Amino acid sequence: MTTPSDSTDTTGNPGSGETTLTNLATVREGAPGSATGAALGGLLTATATAPAPASTPGTEAAAAIRAQRSGIGVSALREDAPTKAMGVYPYAADLWAEGLLWGALARSPYAHARIVSVDTRPALALPGVYAVLTADDLPPGPDGTPNGAPTGPYLADRPILAAGVVRHHGEPFAAVAADHPDTARLAAASILVEWEPLPALTDPDQAFQAPPLHPDGNVFRQLPIRFGDPEVVGEVVVEGMYQVGRQDPAPIGAEAGLAVPRPDGGVELHVATTDPHNDRDRIASCLGIEPDRVRLVVSGIPGATSDRDDLGFQATLALLAARTGHPVKMVLTREESFLTHPHRHPALLRYRHHADAEGRLVKVEAQILLDGGAYADVSSEVLARAAAMSAGPYVVPHVFVDAWAVRTNNPPSGRMRGEGALQTCFAYESQLDRLAAALDLSPLELRRRNVMTTGDLLPTGQAVTCPAPVRELLDAVAEEPLPPLPVDQPDAEWLLPEGPGCAGDPAAVRRGIGYAVGMVPMLGIEGADEVATASVRVTGSQASVICAAVDPGTGFATLAKQIVQEILGVEDVYIAPVDTDQPAAGPSARGRQTWVAGGAIERAALMVRQQLLQPLAARFAMSPELLSIKDGRITSYDGVLGMPVLEALEGKDLWATAQCRPHPTEPLDPETGQGDAFVGLGFCALRAVVDVDIDLGTVRVVEVTAAQDVGRALNPRQIEARIEAGVTQGLGLALMEDMTVTDGHVLAPSFVGYRLPTALDAPDIRVAALIEDRDVVAPFGAKAVGAAPAVVAPAAIAAAVRAATGMPVTRLPIQPDDAAV
Amino acid sequence: MLPASLDEAVSAMAESPGAVPVAGGTDLMGAVNAGLLRPMALLGLGRVTELRGWQYQDGAALLGAGLTHARMARPDFAALIPALAEAAATVGPPQVRNVGTLGGNIVSAHPAGDTLPVLAALEATVTLVGPEGGREVAVSHLLTGLDPLRSGELLAYVRVPLLHAPQVFLKAGGRTGPSRAVASVSLVLDPARRAVRCAVGAVAPVPLRPLEAEQWVAGCIDWDGERTVDPGVAQAFGEYVASACVPDAGTEGGAARTDAAPTAARLRRTVSVLARRALGRALK
Ligand SMILES: Cc1cc2nc3c(=O)[nH]c(=O)nc-3n(C[C@H](O)[C@H](O)[C@H](O)COP(=O)(O)OP(=O)(O)OC[C@H]3O[C@@H](n4cnc5c(N)ncnc54)[C@H](O)[C@@H]3O)c2cc1C
Repeated sequence: MTTPSDSTDTTGNPGSGETTLTNLATVREGAPGSATGAALGGLLTATATAPAPASTPGTEAAAAIRAQRSGIGVSALREDAPTKAMGVYPYAADLWAEGLLWGALARSPYAHARIVSVDTRPALALPGVYAVLTADDLPPGPDGTPNGAPTGPYLADRPILAAGVVRHHGEPFAAVAADHPDTARLAAASILVEWEPLPALTDPDQAFQAPPLHPDGNVFRQLPIRFGDPEVVGEVVVEGMYQVGRQDPAPIGAEAGLAVPRPDGGVELHVATTDPHNDRDRIASCLGIEPDRVRLVVSGIPGATSDRDDLGFQATLALLAARTGHPVKMVLTREESFLTHPHRHPALLRYRHHADAEGRLVKVEAQILLDGGAYADVSSEVLARAAAMSAGPYVVPHVFVDAWAVRTNNPPSGRMRGEGALQTCFAYESQLDRLAAALDLSPLELRRRNVMTTGDLLPTGQAVTCPAPVRELLDAVAEEPLPPLPVDQPDAEWLLPEGPGCAGDPAAVRRGIGYAVGMVPMLGIEGADEVATASVRVTGSQASVICAAVDPGTGFATLAKQIVQEILGVEDVYIAPVDTDQPAAGPSARGRQTWVAGGAIERAALMVRQQLLQPLAARFAMSPELLSIKDGRITSYDGVLGMPVLEALEGKDLWATAQCRPHPTEPLDPETGQGDAFVGLGFCALRAVVDVDIDLGTVRVVEVTAAQDVGRALNPRQIEARIEAGVTQGLGLALMEDMTVTDGHVLAPSFVGYRLPTALDAPDIRVAALIEDRDVVAPFGAKAVGAAPAVVAPAAIAAAVRAATGMPVTRLPIQPDDAAV
Repeated sequence: MLPASLDEAVSAMAESPGAVPVAGGTDLMGAVNAGLLRPMALLGLGRVTELRGWQYQDGAALLGAGLTHARMARPDFAALIPALAEAAATVGPPQVRNVGTLGGNIVSAHPAGDTLPVLAALEATVTLVGPEGGREVAVSHLLTGLDPLRSGELLAYVRVPLLHAPQVFLKAGGRTGPSRAVASVSLVLDPARRAVRCAVGAVAPVPLRPLEAEQWVAGCIDWDGERTVDPGVAQAFGEYVASACVPDAGTEGGAARTDAAPTAARLRRTVSVLARRALGRALK
């Protein structure tokens, strides 16, 4: 396997397959934030430089944690915890530059319309307005006419400013820069547009027959899976139709950023991105300039569950700065944020499960329809994830799936924690409950009879080579004691569905217990080139990590620190802020950073370790392999020789850069859906306990117990936090999160209209087991942990509501009608 | 502007006609932040201490408009007007209850305002004070716009009769955490007049009174005895209230959407459950 960066390989380690190690002697130029950073004044510099070593509250906690052993497996305090808890963590919306202008976007009030004409003169006539840009100001398309500089991760079909036609409510068609945010908004609102409204295609079922909404057509991808014998039938057959609503990632901080023009005609962007290098490349191509003239500096990220900003936001911001020659800041309102960034794909799923009389699965047939919204984004990839995961973590000899992702005039869909896998998990787990009822088996027993394990095949024909402790996970949650019933605790205060002091009535409350298990692919799929580069440097007593893997709040920076502590025995590890001058580390999405970027950091650290130990070993006349680093000391295998790491490091400046590139995957066959498309899988089992007011149909989740396949727990407390976050987000989709869209219009783009779980809605979340069955191909044997609980939680809660009410529960979010008896 | 007394506040209003009064700001500042409102000036009512407590007057309580939800939710107030205390306790999260006020809730007149059905069931009146002095208006007249707040006027007091009998407020929000009401029901017993009064909130722009259902159920109660009804009556009362307050989808206006029918059926059922439970609790 060759890699684009092989040219920098100086270690003569070609084609070792898995990884490419590079050992760059040159010291990287341009410390983050140095050049422009200084010109931008205090706040920005504070973002760009290291957070000062905490000399404030929080120090005590940090010191207490430091007193423990550091390194892998320790519940180290989150890097960003003290600053976030104290409210001084700088987010993108806090950025400031001298003389900045404010950006605003003009958006379509229609879900589908032709733009007959745009008159920007009224906006330009307003005092304080510096620029009003439309698609005409972007590089034209191949035929020389403006096409809005379309872009996209796989297909470049989403214009950054609509040209000629708008395809979803809120699509931007013009951008304004003015000296005050109000002026900018007013100017955006005063642009005169002659619209010709077109019929909006909002039912994904109609996408096939409807006239194409885009020259690329209405079907983003069709993926069949043909696995086994289509003629086989089971003795017991159950069928169901399932529906998943539109969940929004609802980042707590809306999109915000600052663009600063550079003297070379380029632009420097300070944005809360999770994929800086790809964004840079796409922004550059939208602007028609070379990627190296666009620099992205990653600012503090106020919430991201994989992708965050819509690229159009960043690209228009860059364009405004480039055109006006002024720094431009843009902060979207909550409403705009709901309208533009990608949501979870709404899905319609039709399933038929065949089983034999003993309850062993024989065949699964499924039809999956994903509503991709107006533009392609990652729909084709999400579809592959949905289709390939469609049978769940079970052994199914025959699987036949037809899956489609289609274009509509609904809000754009994209990547969101557990994309694709979540929708099918709800459907197949609901089907297993249905099958258990048909066979008069307990849902747990039915699952136990079918669980997959290492060596079993996915419907794509790929063998599962990683640990797959599905059975152990189920057993772990099943063995946990159940929460007490209120009748057994008459003195305790009972929180009813509907909450404290509201309409709840204990006499109408029924309790239900539900189980679900699911799986998520880790890393990019179908041939995506997964690679990350990282550098580790040690000078004296301090180590630094330079790696462009963004920590959007997942705790990656903390892990990076633990990895270096573990390998080098150095306590003081500085994690450099991320910008695109650093080598790429890929997106912080699809559960890849711990593996890919963590792997690169591990390798770089190991190379530094080698540089450190080699001369010592030579001095002791033994091979470096016989020396180990533990608890800050270097010791020989026999314990005779030893010295503190810091002593060995004195006066040294060691530096190494390495890459990690997991084994490659291949695309699924377009006719049969067969192929080795996945690098690895992570599994999770949950047990949900719910109370349902069966008159009102209101559900309260009392407790969720989790067991997760983690490979190796690198930071147990951080994993628990990920499980709590995932379960709560899954609960949101299960019970309340749904963006209401009527005729393509987002009805209530606000936190009043879009309900998120609050502390009272969140259940007790208990971790029954973190199963540490190491994945031998993954760095440290660790698996991604963020997505799996979010994928399984809706299915588990639906199962519990089913158990409490006897209702079928076939849609998410669960409506009062689905839970009232 | 931060007047320290009601008089000062009223004259400040008269002097600057563009000024908008702000109490807790929980509704107002949301509108300002969203750009829906650009008041010329704000008149803070936070220092008008005479509006932040209550007094007694002829068998009624005179509640200051500046009473916060948190204050009304406390046990001493709950002993006085239980339903209003219950409503105040369910308003939003604690942060909102700590600053949001009774007066603000009434003037905002949000359909899902939680104190409104209680005030409607209690047949409360408000004192509006303007440059020409004060006047007394029924809460229902204020809310329906029959007798609206005039410019320069402030809502000073809310007069609530003290009934010394069970009264309840039940709110359904569809989840465990704080929520705007999907529907709410307040029900009060008035033994002196042998009356049951009930108001349904959040299903219409203003609280609705199912008068016929009230009269019917009052006739079913043995006022001199145990004051109980059998479960069948409670059930029928619930349905009576619901059918009176939630119209059939489709019969109202021709343009009923296809998904309106199940929504209306759902809402009707919720109201019916709330009214049944409310009666059950009041007669317990
Ligand atoms: C997160 C959140 C959750 C909420 N949940 C609920 C809920 O569950 N139930 C509910 O009922 N409400 C809820 N609200 C709305 C709000 O908190 C209440 O309506 C509150 O009672 C308003 O009171 P305030 O003092 O904050 O009013 P303000 O915002 O200060 O004022 C509201 C309006 O009343 C006017 N006004 C205020 N006082 C006077 C006066 N004395 N005379 C004349 N005009 C006056 C103001 O000019 C303004 O127009 C919620 C609000 C938030 C932000």
